[in-house]
Amino acid sequence: MERREFIGLAAAGLGAISLGMKGCNPHNVAPGDWVNLAVIGVGSRGQQMMRMMLRVPGVRITGLCDIYEPRFEQGRKVTGEQTPVYKDYRKMLEAHDIDAVMVTTPVGLHAEHICAALDSGRAVYGEKSMGRSLADCNQIRDTARRTGKIFQTGLQYAYAPWTQEALQRIQQGKIGKVTAIHAYWHRNNNWRRPVPQGQEAQLERLLNWRLYREWSGGLLAELGSHQMSIANTIFGSLPESAIASGGIDFWKDGREIEDNVHSTLRYPGGQTLQVSYITTNRLDGAQERIYGTAGSIVLTHTEAIYYKEPWEPNSAIPPEINIEHKLITGPTYSAEQPYHGSGDTPIKGKVDDANLLACRAFIDCIRNHRRPIADVEAGWSQGVTVALANRALELDRKVTMAEFLR
Amino acid sequence: MQSDHALQRGSGQHDLSESRNQEFLTTSRSPDAELPIESIRCRSCRAMGTEFKLYLSSADEIQAQACYLAAFEEIERIEQAFSRFRDSSEVSRINRLAFNGPMVTDPEVFQLISRAMDISRKTGGFFDVTVGSLTRVWGFAEHQRRIPEPQALAEARESVGWQKVVLDPAWRTVQFLQAGIELDLGAIAKGYAVDSVMEVLRRIGVPALMDAGSSSMMANDAELFRDWKVAIPNPLNRALPLWDVKLGNRALSTSGVMEQSFVQDGCIYSHLIHPVGQSAPPSASGQQLLQVTVLAPDSTLADALSTAMFLLGHEQGSQSLQQFPECSALWVYSDANGLIPRAHQWPEDENLCNKGVFHGKA
Repeated sequence: MERREFIGLAAAGLGAISLGMKGCNPHNVAPGDWVNLAVIGVGSRGQQMMRMMLRVPGVRITGLCDIYEPRFEQGRKVTGEQTPVYKDYRKMLEAHDIDAVMVTTPVGLHAEHICAALDSGRAVYGEKSMGRSLADCNQIRDTARRTGKIFQTGLQYAYAPWTQEALQRIQQGKIGKVTAIHAYWHRNNNWRRPVPQGQEAQLERLLNWRLYREWSGGLLAELGSHQMSIANTIFGSLPESAIASGGIDFWKDGREIEDNVHSTLRYPGGQTLQVSYITTNRLDGAQERIYGTAGSIVLTHTEAIYYKEPWEPNSAIPPEINIEHKLITGPTYSAEQPYHGSGDTPIKGKVDDANLLACRAFIDCIRNHRRPIADVEAGWSQGVTVALANRALELDRKVTMAEFLR
Repeated sequence: MQSDHALQRGSGQHDLSESRNQEFLTTSRSPDAELPIESIRCRSCRAMGTEFKLYLSSADEIQAQACYLAAFEEIERIEQAFSRFRDSSEVSRINRLAFNGPMVTDPEVFQLISRAMDISRKTGGFFDVTVGSLTRVWGFAEHQRRIPEPQALAEARESVGWQKVVLDPAWRTVQFLQAGIELDLGAIAKGYAVDSVMEVLRRIGVPALMDAGSSSMMANDAELFRDWKVAIPNPLNRALPLWDVKLGNRALSTSGVMEQSFVQDGCIYSHLIHPVGQSAPPSASGQQLLQVTVLAPDSTLADALSTAMFLLGHEQGSQSLQQFPECSALWVYSDANGLIPRAHQWPEDENLCNKGVFHGKA
């Protein structure tokens, strides 16, 4: 990639000036491998991911775009320099010192921003959910295929070693046949961002976009993306149908998005994914409980815990039965009680933040021309699954994937 | 209530905070405060091993809930970056890898480490950003407090030394010059979290005051909270405030032996570890240092300096504070006759509300 190498060299030169570079380059990155990243959407998630990107050696942020001007100062604080800022992403994409673009805008704007960035010839990291609607997801997939540019969806837990190890165990049949997954993302807050005093009327929908239908995919998109992606991977297909219910039942503050959503997705192999998203209790937090016929795996944001089914191995027949052929009767001594074994956590600690792992993998894909794990197909699968469940929620009835894709 | 007598003559090991019967530091409002009490709300969260309380002024319940969420998410974000107890934190990553070569980190993490290093240098290492292995060997980190074996102490001491950390601002890299070195930002990150939350709420125009574990406090609106007072308690009897401090636009931080310390065979062992490995608080001429409070322009600095000032004691601490002209400190010692205050640049307009407990002059 001569162009990128040229830009990389130019950027390294710029870096030498603005960073006061001296001595050898401790990033241990060849000049041509520096990646200049531009960001569309510099809100809280954008800033978090910028910090992660800046922990990867040889990455500079060379452009910040947002329509809310206070984000510029906040973004520059994150980059630690006077990064060029733009209110129009099209202007930013005209700049020459950009190798890749990170899109961290509201879900309903992903398709517009991701496709523009891909069409400008840049690699793109696009936050989840990939798109809000089927049309959005199709547009992104088609653009990525047409341009051949690297696209990575923001499914960072796909890069977590404990997730990868769990998926490998499942693939090896270590927990038997997986028949059901129950996924929770329970929190106890109103899911709001504070709006500057006195500017509520102008800024409420901009800063609290997640609460309004114009740009938001609701709880299913914001919380369900990772979990549905994992289920699709384990079950090896898209779901064939979804039902969903939910409502604005507690946080009656003018929002348009449900504050609790529950959905059941059926898969072609007869498996079920059941998801639950509530905003009034956090006992269960975020977890995927993966049930197999020989064991279970509980996945969280920090670990995977394995449980065997509580069956004893075949044991010798007791002597009284062999000799006297006598069984003893009595009340039932074992009911279907939950069991709480100690669990096993083979992947423990000493691992980096999943966001950092995803950022590092993205940069590595750019440098080495590799296809991301969470590529555009994985993103499309995840995005379409969310959109299907949202459609079921909207129609308040069972929706099949066949009818949804028509 | 823990008495001076008991501190000196106790035997076996016991926890100084067992007798805790009210908040270490307490906030109060003076009667002439203009802010209507009904508009002040408070909510707390547990993070960084302590309790953060956020007081804010908002007439709107919905906005208040959003502010709490933004504040507590900010604390969580900072803990996830700076905690050495989380394997996935940035500081843990640096601790794992920085001996292998220069480690690139993001500007925020680099800046806080740089600031901690600067304070380490200015306090002659009495605030030491690499003290983690000593804290661990004394068992404070795991709440299994013990007097370490001499060999373990010596080994831990070998792994301490802020001079063994090299920062390169041109490239934002951190490198350790010796294996076993690890960063421990526990004595500064809490203050940084307070500053960061105050900044978040300042941006949206919500006046607020944050109290982290009753030991670090700051408001983001000096005007609104100008009449709020922080009561610095008598370390031997928390029910008796020694001093009332009006926060104004200053940050306050208190360090002392009344929390996370233990007494064994008549000696106090504090979680505030001297860089040479000593845990006992400074004492001289029969006077035992129990507590120090620092006022500083920001909470990050106040938090770090209160640790350093405790370990330095009044005499050396006052000299060290010459490098921090905007900061002041109040040390509280005890001897057989009672409490003795020692101060450096302590604001003259503050009320000494319980003079009777002192027998010396500040």
